[in-house]
Amino acid sequence: MSLQDWYPLALSRDIAAGTSAGTRVLGEEFVVWRDSKGAVHAWDDRCPHRGMKMSFGFVRGDHIACLYHGWQYDTAGQCQYIPAHPDLEVPQTIKIPRFATIEAGGMIWGCFNGEDSATPPAPDLPSEITPLRSIFADCPAPLMVAQIAKTTFGETTPDVAAKTDRIVDITLGDIKLIAGVQAIADGESALHLVALGELDASKLKPLSLWAEQLRRDAEAVAKASATTEIAA
Amino acid sequence: MSTPTLYNYDLDENCYKVRLMMSCVGTEAKLVAVDVVPGREHLSPAIRAMSPSGSLPILKQDDLVLYEAEAILSWLARAYDPDRRFLPDDPDTFGKVMMWLTFSARELDAAVDARATAMMDAPGDIDALRDAAREALRIMDDHMTHQHFDGLEFFAGATATIADIALFPSFALSRDFNIDHDAFPALRRWARAVRKLDGFITMPGIPEYH
Repeated sequence: MSLQDWYPLALSRDIAAGTSAGTRVLGEEFVVWRDSKGAVHAWDDRCPHRGMKMSFGFVRGDHIACLYHGWQYDTAGQCQYIPAHPDLEVPQTIKIPRFATIEAGGMIWGCFNGEDSATPPAPDLPSEITPLRSIFADCPAPLMVAQIAKTTFGETTPDVAAKTDRIVDITLGDIKLIAGVQAIADGESALHLVALGELDASKLKPLSLWAEQLRRDAEAVAKASATTEIAA
Repeated sequence: MSTPTLYNYDLDENCYKVRLMMSCVGTEAKLVAVDVVPGREHLSPAIRAMSPSGSLPILKQDDLVLYEAEAILSWLARAYDPDRRFLPDDPDTFGKVMMWLTFSARELDAAVDARATAMMDAPGDIDALRDAAREALRIMDDHMTHQHFDGLEFFAGATATIADIALFPSFALSRDFNIDHDAFPALRRWARAVRKLDGFITMPGIPEYH
């Protein structure tokens, strides 16, 4: 793995305490989970026993358990309990590779440069935000980002400033959004969207509808360009 | 009223909807197991005398015979839920419940077919069915995203209705036809709320926890 920077994985809001979800970065599979104390973890999404996805499993307290045979892992990724062998002292070698995580700007970020090695500085993002939503689309991440300025918000044309290929500032009239850009795989991407300041439901709903239209537009462009490639 | 009889196949999500609803309103049916795979018993003359297409579930009580899960859910809501929690009377909520019941039987039926094709060798274009099922799940996720903005945890409002019961299984079972839950954060939150309902029960492929 050489994903040696911070990659956005989800909105913090969407990984509640005691829950897990699968995700991918450039095709690599990870499980993101939050223990009952509120700490976030990102690991390889694979149980060492039978290769089952850990994201299909369940969180209890500060352990995550595999859905398949219930093997339980602590926050260090160490298997602590095997239900079929309750008296067994589990060997230290049964361990799931885990990666650094931080939360910034209302998003969960993962850095995949190997356990306990140094991590780059955290993304510099404001903390006074309202989570909007994540939007997932079947299109490459650069296409999704390029589409943002083209999908109008009512009469307003979005003003877009990419700070990096993973952090994009979007201005929609008097509303400012930040998008965390996730390149899920070759033709799949997600935007994790937060709004600056405090917004209520009446403000969030039109923004969410705009994000849905952005998804439709981006996928239509991706589909049209795929058709053109085949024709060429 | 005498105890109803439910013609049931445990692996069929439409049968599960009815079992789940019965459990939530605290009633029971006499279960008659129909051997769909491999027996194809749902296509037998005895079953088709009640449900002409052979679709399950079928509910029978005295002279009443009902098929189509959404109709049976509605009947259960009127017959066994005196407080009308699962099918409220007020016109707006009633309309929303009906809208999502129709959605469940139409748009989301692609998910039922996708699962039957993937798991039980039913004929069908799995890619087209999966695409249609994903589109339906996206519409559901978008809706629940908006509901959550308003602090509402269920499809038609603050409390669960038969719309949630009708929509739940296809999302919970979507990995059976290779659609993961990764891209549906609002549905993950909703599914946790459904799992916490009093009377929640499981079926093969839908564990209690998540």
